[in-house]
Amino acid sequence: MSGQGWCACVLLFRWQMLRNRQLFVLLVTIQIALGVGVIYGFSYLVPHVDAEVALFFATGAPTLTLILMGLTLVPQETALARVNGRYDYVSALPVPRLAPMVADVSYWLLVQLPGTLVTLLLAAWRFHLHFHVDGLVIPAIVLVSLTAAAVGYGVALTFPPTATTQVTQFLSIALLLFSPIEFPLSRLPEWLQDVHRVLPVTYMADVIRGGLTGHYGVSKSLAFAVLGAYCVAGLALSARAANRRG
Amino acid sequence: MPMLAIDHVTKTYRGGVLANDDITLDAAAGEVFGLLGPNGAGKTTLVSQVLALLMPDSGTITIDGIDVVRRADEARRLCSFQPQAAAPVEGLTARQAVEIVGCVRGGRRDAVRRRAAELLDALDLGEVADRTVRMSGGMARLTGFCMAAVVPGRVVVLDEPTNDVDPMRRRALWQQIRRLADDGAAVLLVTHNVLEAERCVDRLAIVAGGRVRAIGAPGTLKAELAAPLRLECTLDPDRPAPDLPASATLMATTGRRLLAQVQLADVGHAVTWAQRAQDLGVITEFSVAAASLEDVYANWVQAEVASA
Repeated sequence: MSGQGWCACVLLFRWQMLRNRQLFVLLVTIQIALGVGVIYGFSYLVPHVDAEVALFFATGAPTLTLILMGLTLVPQETALARVNGRYDYVSALPVPRLAPMVADVSYWLLVQLPGTLVTLLLAAWRFHLHFHVDGLVIPAIVLVSLTAAAVGYGVALTFPPTATTQVTQFLSIALLLFSPIEFPLSRLPEWLQDVHRVLPVTYMADVIRGGLTGHYGVSKSLAFAVLGAYCVAGLALSARAANRRG
Repeated sequence: MPMLAIDHVTKTYRGGVLANDDITLDAAAGEVFGLLGPNGAGKTTLVSQVLALLMPDSGTITIDGIDVVRRADEARRLCSFQPQAAAPVEGLTARQAVEIVGCVRGGRRDAVRRRAAELLDALDLGEVADRTVRMSGGMARLTGFCMAAVVPGRVVVLDEPTNDVDPMRRRALWQQIRRLADDGAAVLLVTHNVLEAERCVDRLAIVAGGRVRAIGAPGTLKAELAAPLRLECTLDPDRPAPDLPASATLMATTGRRLLAQVQLADVGHAVTWAQRAQDLGVITEFSVAAASLEDVYANWVQAEVASA
């Protein structure tokens, strides 16, 4: 993206901030409540929380919120923009095709940041965890959010707006119940483990967990390489969907 | 070379709806070009193709020689627009919305700020300029115009800019539209408001059923009418509509309004008929005047309805 393209992203981000400023505090509060809910709610599901389970809960919560942001908030916002005409309006402006998505992701990351910090602090206190934050956590957060958002954006531009909510809810439930984010991959049936070795979700959870604890489930470079490839492919497909003209 | 050139553009939607059928028209720099037509005539589809939001099935669209289909990014830089729906201004003050779009369109911050202030002042938008209130339809539409005009493209597309706007601000808006053209833009104006368009546009095209039915300057189009005079009657809603005399040709009946064309030689006969109808209470009032652009419009749209 050119300098002008990044400038357009910053302006669209500002637009998004101004549009939603009255809701900002409410949205941040909801994200914090969700994080607290994950830490406390999952402990009801699993009565005996040992160190490994606690680590998965604590590091899985931010991963889950990042992925859900990309797969639900971004596409639902885009679907709404398609219905009320904002999407077409911005599309007719001289901005890179993915600039609205980048602006949306930046906005939602800002909304989620306080919730993520509170969740990690709460988990550390409740489960007596010690985090060793790695510098790679920043690129990990960017990669996870962009990859998930690229998929969500592609869904919102491919399906009719009315179907987008249904599709994103289906993806969210599948992600929550059948993905090794809040629990280890080994708990899934073998065929599903094989599927997850190809899909990006395992690697998403791994880079965030590794960035927070210093311990990666698979090779650090493999996790980043797979996720990077998914991110590039997702962005390319989203850009293609955004460039498509009826 | 025209600033905007639309050449033999055809667009069919999925399901086989033919929205634009071999449309050719152009607008020069400094010209306000009107696009008139009934709902569903294909005007907004044509505009969406000019904005590179839709792709024509065939034909070409160029802005200052740039092919809109092949170089969409460049075309979007050269074209600013006001959508038919209200511009997305919710949560923003009018000034914020106008300044952000101006900067997105590549304007320098201080120049954008000055121009935004000038436009908001000219259109009397002071009460929403710096307040995040829920704007009325007319205010939102005027803000949408300012967003299109703050850093205008070489082509400025305005889709129904005067809808919901009160008469005083509407007058100011027409002045600003004219000024855009005087400053060198080609303005493509989509409107239903034929009477206002007659005063503002330099040339126009009447579109009906996806095709251009007539194109030219308002004066030229009026000269092509079969009759130079119009007889307009207001009907009594409780009485059946009267039969027109043979010397008048019915153009349209909309609600209580009846419109007919009259030849110069028959005007005396038509006035006598109308006076008698008024005396009998069948019509409440009438007028005879020179034919207007509305008569040209009614002529072509009625022909389209008749052939459908």
